[in-house]
This record gives sequence, structure tokens and C-alpha cells, in this order.
Amino acid sequence: MSQVLIQAGNRLLNALGRHSELIMQAYVNGSVKEADHSRKVLEQLVQLGVLWRPDPQSPLRLKNAVRALLEGSLQDDRSRTINTNITASLASLRTLAEHYKESLHHNRFNEAHAHMGDLTEHVYQLTESLTNSVRVLFGRINNEFGYVSSVEAKIRENELAQGQVSDLLQQLESFHFDELSELAGSNRELRHLLVVALQQSFSKAAQELSVVQARLLDLLGRFREFQGRTRLLKGFLLHMEQQPDFTPGNYPALSQVPVLFNQSASLLAPAAADVNQVEHEADYQMIVSNLTDIHRRKPDEESHKAAQEIEVAEQGSVSLEKDPIHQAVDDYFCDVIDSGQPKSALEYFAEHALDFDQEVWIYQVIGGYQSLDENDKQFFALDAAGQPDKTFTGNFYINDVTLGLR
Amino acid sequence: MMSEQGRILSLLLSGQFVCQVSDEEGWRFLKSRDNAAKLEPHLNVLNRTLASTAEGDVFFAAYLTLGDDERKVLTLQFQETASSLVPLVEWLLLVQQASESDMPVTMGNALRLNELQSVIEDTPAYAEQLEKISRYRIFNSTSMNLDGQLKQVFKRLTDMGYLIKPNSEKQIYLVTGKVEHLYEMIKFIDETESLSLSAQAEAAVQQGSLL
Repeated sequence: MSQVLIQAGNRLLNALGRHSELIMQAYVNGSVKEADHSRKVLEQLVQLGVLWRPDPQSPLRLKNAVRALLEGSLQDDRSRTINTNITASLASLRTLAEHYKESLHHNRFNEAHAHMGDLTEHVYQLTESLTNSVRVLFGRINNEFGYVSSVEAKIRENELAQGQVSDLLQQLESFHFDELSELAGSNRELRHLLVVALQQSFSKAAQELSVVQARLLDLLGRFREFQGRTRLLKGFLLHMEQQPDFTPGNYPALSQVPVLFNQSASLLAPAAADVNQVEHEADYQMIVSNLTDIHRRKPDEESHKAAQEIEVAEQGSVSLEKDPIHQAVDDYFCDVIDSGQPKSALEYFAEHALDFDQEVWIYQVIGGYQSLDENDKQFFALDAAGQPDKTFTGNFYINDVTLGLR
Repeated sequence: MMSEQGRILSLLLSGQFVCQVSDEEGWRFLKSRDNAAKLEPHLNVLNRTLASTAEGDVFFAAYLTLGDDERKVLTLQFQETASSLVPLVEWLLLVQQASESDMPVTMGNALRLNELQSVIEDTPAYAEQLEKISRYRIFNSTSMNLDGQLKQVFKRLTDMGYLIKPNSEKQIYLVTGKVEHLYEMIKFIDETESLSLSAQAEAAVQQGSLL
């Protein structure tokens, strides 16, 4: 038996594959153009139950089962049919479960196994059709009924979908899990199928359906608003055509001006630049430098030509005096040049009885030497006299410096 | 640097409409009741108050109390609005009809100038309608060709705040909340003057279908 069944199935699927073009054409167009295909092929497909002729005059069409298969696999949003016949499926489940239990009771295990297979198939079919229905509904919502163009058609589609949702919800009420669980009794497999699997898909479907319903209502509201707006605009134009001299009342003159017409005037004008603001100086500079064209006002020459008295007086002279220590250092250098003999700084210090601090004096001499420019420096040599530190190497105490000519 | 509060305050004081499209951050700021309460004293000093229309989708500054001067401003403004209603409504309907979906123009819609232009060019009735619209005083187009007319109309609408152009390089415009304000105004006029505009439109459609 099963061998025959498998062969027949293979034949059908092969036929589907061989004539896929014809079938897809029929799916898209709704019917087959018989003239384009050989009579033999068509007859074969009719025999296999792929095509059928609803009545003698009408063209061949796809069988519903094939169409449903294509719609389901292609996720085509044209499919709007929703299988809401849950009550019938539940009844068949109940019957199959009874069969299964009876054959177990009589120890006819082969039979029981077959019934179990059937039952499993039915349960999964039911859950699949539930999820499929919800998916179809969601698909339609997601593209906002994009397959019809006018708002009116969208509203009609929305109403159809709402009807389907409420149908589905009504059908879902026919799930009585207490009855099902009683039916399953203590049989583990039956419980798994009838209680666990069904309940899961039931709760999921119920939850999603409530979301679908809310979204549908939302959309319907929006469509109605669109419709209302279009009517409002068209009505307004129509009215203006019929009564071109129509002017609305002067609402701002009412004692209570409606918020819609109470719109305050613009108040803010750009602020002016404050040139005394030091922080902004850089920004102003940038702005000015970016100007491509400065419109300078021509100075009003006449107004500035008031007579002025000119005072001629001698300018006070400013004399720059050197610090005495600098003077002394310069003198010391001159002295060395004049005498041509090297001389220690402290000797010069003692000779001229200078009254600076000795250390400051030595520093100043060294500084004076260093500050000469390269050419002048070459004429002089500066030697430092002193001794290294007793404890730490690398430290050298300078007691005196000797300046000489090279 | 100005704080967010200061930025929004100055937007409002300069007479702009703040909506989700034109200034999302500002709109969110104003949506919060606390923030709005913070702004209110500043506005009140200048005899203004925060107002909203279109179910809180659009914010703007309204006068707090109305003296003679304020009424004068409002009357002037209203006369301008009333005279520009017909051109604006005609434009809205033209865009709606020329767009594929036949959906009314609402806040957040993106209008692609090129697509619109090609549809209008292909349909002589729309082209005539556009020419008529562009000649109205508020659009004030003198252009003889369709391209210039359409650009001028969109430019004027952008100036008036009904549209914004997020990317200056692309000819894509977004519809702002001010359009919602326009709808509200027409609705208000409809109700106050009891024009029953929707019924008129319906009746016209039915008569059309009979003919």
C-alpha cells in the first residue's frame, strides 16, 4: 500500500516540476490559457488533481490545495484566506484520541501507533494553521494594505481583517483545556500533544491576535482620519467655488480668541556686536578678515575741519642712564684693554673700592663677558679661580675670575 | 553657547512652530511638562504663553493677554492666513492626487520633487492646476515653465515653514507640523461657520457617480 502511495506521490511531484511554468502562470493569472498547452498535459494535470474545471464553460484553474501550498511557501500577501475552522479540527482530535486509547486498551499496538501518527499530524496541522493565520494578518498590517490603493479599499480590507480576527478569537474559545487534559488522562504522549503543544500555540496565537486587533483598530482610525482630511479639503474647495466671496469671521476680534489664531508675532531681532567686549576680539577680527567687501562710509571731510591752534614747544629729552654696576663692569673691561694685562675681578674691585656685594660683582663680570657678541668675545679670555668641593665631586666653587686679552 | 532652554525659547519668540519634523529635540523638550513649565515664566514676561495644536504635535508662542496692539497683529495675520487658504488647500490636494498612494499630506511625509514633477508633467490637468496655484499672490511665480513654477511654490512653502529641506543638495522636502495647524484651522472654520464641508464633498462624489 505505502509503496503505491509513494510512487503516486512521486509522479505528482514530478508532474509539478515538469509543468512548473504552466502552474505558476495559472497561479499568477488565475487560470490556464488552454490554447498554449497540449491537451494531453492538461488532462494529465487534471487527473493528478492539480488543475480543475469549476464548470464546463470556464477555463482550467489551480486546485485550492496547490494554490495554498504556493501561497504558504512564497509568503504571498495576496492570500487573505484564513482557516478559522478550529472547532472541526478539535472534534477530529478528540475522535482520534479516543481511537488511540481504545486500541491501547485492547493491546493492538500497531493500530495504536498509526492512530498516534495521525493524531500528531492533526495537532501540528492545527498549530501551523494558527500561526499561519496570524502571520497573514500581520503581513497585511505591515504593508498597511499596500496591495489596494485607495483609502476606501484599505478601510474595507481592514474591516475584513477585523472580522477574521474576531472569528479566530471566537474559535479559540472552543479550546477547552480541562476537557483535553481529561481526554489525555495519564498517557504521557497524549498529554504532550493535546495539552502542552496545543496550549503553547494557543497562548501564542491569542497574544498575537490581541496585538493584531489593536493595530488594526489603530490603522482604521488613521485611514478614517485620512478620509476625513481629504473630504475636508475637497469640501473647502467646493465651497469656495460655490461662494467665491466667502470669508471666515474675524476670529481675532472675538473676546476669546481661539488658540489656533493666537500666534504671537516674531520678537527677536539679531543682537549687535559689542566692540568693548575683549573676549570677542578674536571673533570680530575673524569676521572682519572674512569680509570680502567693506563698505566704508566716506568720511565727512568738512565736519572735521574745525580750526585748531598749533602749539610749538620743545620736546623733553629722555636720557637713558646705565645701572652703576653695568658702568663699573664696562670700566673694568676698558681697564683690561688699556693695560693689556690680565686682571682679577676682585683686584679691580679692591682698587676702585667698589661698594657692591662681591658675589654680585663676580656674577656681573661673568654676565658682562657672556653678553658680548661673538666677535668681541674672541678678544677676551675669562678664567675662573676657585676649588672643587671637598665632599662632592663635580662641584666647583668660584672665588674669583680673571679677565685678560687673548 | 546657549542652553537648550534658551535655544527653544528664542525659537518660540521668533514666531516659529516647533514640531517633531522641524526640530525633534526641541519638540521632545517641550513635550515634557517640567520643561514647558520652566519656559513659561520667560514667555509670560513678554506677554506670551506656550500653546500647542494638533493634539500636542505642534508648539508655538501665543499672546497671554490681548490688548489692542495684539489684536491688530492677530487680525492682520488672520487676514493673511484666510487669503492664503485656497492656494494652500489646492496645493495639498494636487500633491495628494499626484502622489501614488492618494494619501493626504501629513506631518512627516517626504515629498520628492522629481517624482512629483514627472507625474505632473505627464498629466496635463495637474500641470494646469500647478500653473494656477503658482500664480496666486502667496506663491507669486512668474515662471512660464513647469519646473520653475514647482520650485517657486516649494521654495515659498519652505519659507513659510510648511516644508523643510533637510539636505540642501537633494530635492526632498519634509512636511512639518504647520500643515497640521492648517488642517486644524480649516476644521475650525468648518465647525464655526457650520459649513459641513465633508458632507458637501460626499454629496459631490455621489452626484459624480450618478452622472
